[in-house]
Amino acid sequence: MIGAFTLSNMGPQEHRKGLGSGWITFLWVLWAALLVAGLIGVWQRLMYGHNPAGYGSYVPWGLWIGLYFMGVAIAGGAFVFGAIGYVLGWPCFRRPDALRIAIVVSLAAILPAFTAVWLDLGRMDRLYLVLTSATFTSMMAFNAWMYNVFVVVAALCWLLSFAGRSVWLKPLLCLGAFLSIIFPSQSGVFFEAVATKEYWNSPLLSMLFLSSAAAAGAGALLLVRVILGPLGAKDEKTVEEHNQGLRILRLITVAGLIAYLVFEFAEISIEVWSPGRASVPVQFLVTGGYWWVFWILQLAIGAGVPLLLYVFSENKKAWAVGTLFLMFGFVAARMGILVPGQIEEQIHGLEQAFQDMRLVYSYHPTLTEYLVGAFLVAMGMAVFYVGLRLTSAVGSRSGQEV
Amino acid sequence: MSEENKPLDRREFLLAGGIVGAGVAAAVGVVVKDRLPAAPVDPTGEQTIRRLPVLKTLKPKPNEDDHVRMQRELVKAMAKPVEQRRWIMVIDIRKCIGCYACTIGCVAENKLPPGVVYRPVTTTEIGEYPNLRIKFLPRPCMQCENPSCVPVCPVKATWKRPDGVVTIDYDKCIGCRYCLNACPYGARTSDFGRTYASESAHGAPQGENRPVEGPSAPWEHQPNNEYAKSWRRDGHNSPVGNARKCHFCLHRLEVGQPPMCVTTCIGRATYFGDANDPESLVSELIVKNNVQRLLEHWGNKPQCYYIV
Repeated sequence: MIGAFTLSNMGPQEHRKGLGSGWITFLWVLWAALLVAGLIGVWQRLMYGHNPAGYGSYVPWGLWIGLYFMGVAIAGGAFVFGAIGYVLGWPCFRRPDALRIAIVVSLAAILPAFTAVWLDLGRMDRLYLVLTSATFTSMMAFNAWMYNVFVVVAALCWLLSFAGRSVWLKPLLCLGAFLSIIFPSQSGVFFEAVATKEYWNSPLLSMLFLSSAAAAGAGALLLVRVILGPLGAKDEKTVEEHNQGLRILRLITVAGLIAYLVFEFAEISIEVWSPGRASVPVQFLVTGGYWWVFWILQLAIGAGVPLLLYVFSENKKAWAVGTLFLMFGFVAARMGILVPGQIEEQIHGLEQAFQDMRLVYSYHPTLTEYLVGAFLVAMGMAVFYVGLRLTSAVGSRSGQEV
Repeated sequence: MSEENKPLDRREFLLAGGIVGAGVAAAVGVVVKDRLPAAPVDPTGEQTIRRLPVLKTLKPKPNEDDHVRMQRELVKAMAKPVEQRRWIMVIDIRKCIGCYACTIGCVAENKLPPGVVYRPVTTTEIGEYPNLRIKFLPRPCMQCENPSCVPVCPVKATWKRPDGVVTIDYDKCIGCRYCLNACPYGARTSDFGRTYASESAHGAPQGENRPVEGPSAPWEHQPNNEYAKSWRRDGHNSPVGNARKCHFCLHRLEVGQPPMCVTTCIGRATYFGDANDPESLVSELIVKNNVQRLLEHWGNKPQCYYIV
């Protein structure tokens, strides 16, 4: 049980605790609300197909694809720091139970990401073709295979972590870490490979995706480690190591976020110094219809607030809250890449040439899309919970502390 | 039980290097393999020759009607193996009057549902009153020589045929819409499963005058004949959920008929034919000085030419 998992580990003092029972109850209520709302969205998607969604043929990808890339980023970042921390023996990461938590976080992020892209397909019944009939000229097929290999490797690492000292664990962790670095950056290439979209066809996208994966993955680990509290015996040394680990994660998160902002500035500042260039997507993002997504959701709420919480607060719960804002900001940032890249009409007058609600160069997510988004979050929470329960059960059976 | 781990030893280090190296080698191998030229998916050679009786009794005449000439050239091209044909389209935008007969003819021929269009015609106003002109630009699929929509498909559901037409296998397309984003011409649209009847019934009052609901309206489920197969959309069958695009009416070419947009063009602005035939009308037209192609800077080498 998550309650047993966390509460049994708590020491008498506040700084040794994970979240209290009030917070746990709040998380259950939040999960139930997200699930109920999300199931309505999934029902609408399955009953009415893509009709309740806001995307169309000229803007073919919307919120679900943004969430998919967000999930992939969290999965890659969480795994790579969990694995590297374990292999290199970082404080707070050197224990197998810390590694298992990182793997569970990673899987809890990537499985909803798969679900998001599955729900987005026009032919959900043919998803398997991406694996059985893949052509590796397509970044999508390559990524799909990479994600699946990663899930298998992550699951094997999770199993081997219970097997005492297995000679295969660390090599497999190295492979998983390698994949975790490659697939977030290749998520950028997924867009870059569309050479006919100038806004996407920039190698900076890989760097943006990689830095956001570092920040989001470290942030996700920070969040769950704050929730769960110190692992193992509750002596001073463990607690200090736990706090040291949280500080490392905070540092990585802040560094990743700042790197993202620097790369993003590099991309956008081209417009400032080259006024004649007049990139429609950049103008749409910075001063056009998406200004509020960029300035308010991404920069103010999604970057400014978490930076303030991380940098000026020593309260670990504030860092956890900061991570929630950070995640929100990165979803907005994903949409800031996804949508402006698709709204540019390359043949003037195409939208007016044949008028239909699916043939427009604009996009706003519909209620159904947000509801499905809620389902994906609930699914991630559920996978995390079940993963912890399973970790606890297998650990107890194998006689290991979990 | 203590679970502290020990530093990476030499054996583990070598194993890690081996696994990662093997993974990289496997990835490079599959990517290179798929980049190499592959055998054609479509049948080629003798079996693709069509000896059509169309216009057999009508002798060619000098200065005959362009449509008769194009049809004669089409029959001639179909008598060659598919790999020896190269279909192209030429549109004289000086003659286009913006009647949309091509758009509607295409919708009717291919039974396109709402939101799916293969040949829209854009309208651009140039200048200001009194020096004002309206320019119309029909935009079929460009059937690019170097199509950006093909390599992005993750499941080999779209490819370029030996005769130059870019096709989609509706039985294989998963509906990821990557190709829609890759096409700079916006020539691909997604079939979201909509029907005209259900939309006209939406919000209409009950009673005998209420339009028939989509699923029960029989005309919504008339099969189309794209790619010379019969496709019924009822029951969420393909092409529902698929990417769709203009295919130069391949099913009509098979029986000696030009694409529907060519037939319905009342301004005679659309030409179609085999660019591999040096005597064809389209071969004569595309060497003129006033011929252009759309968005050439992307390097897709579109096979639709515009006389401007």
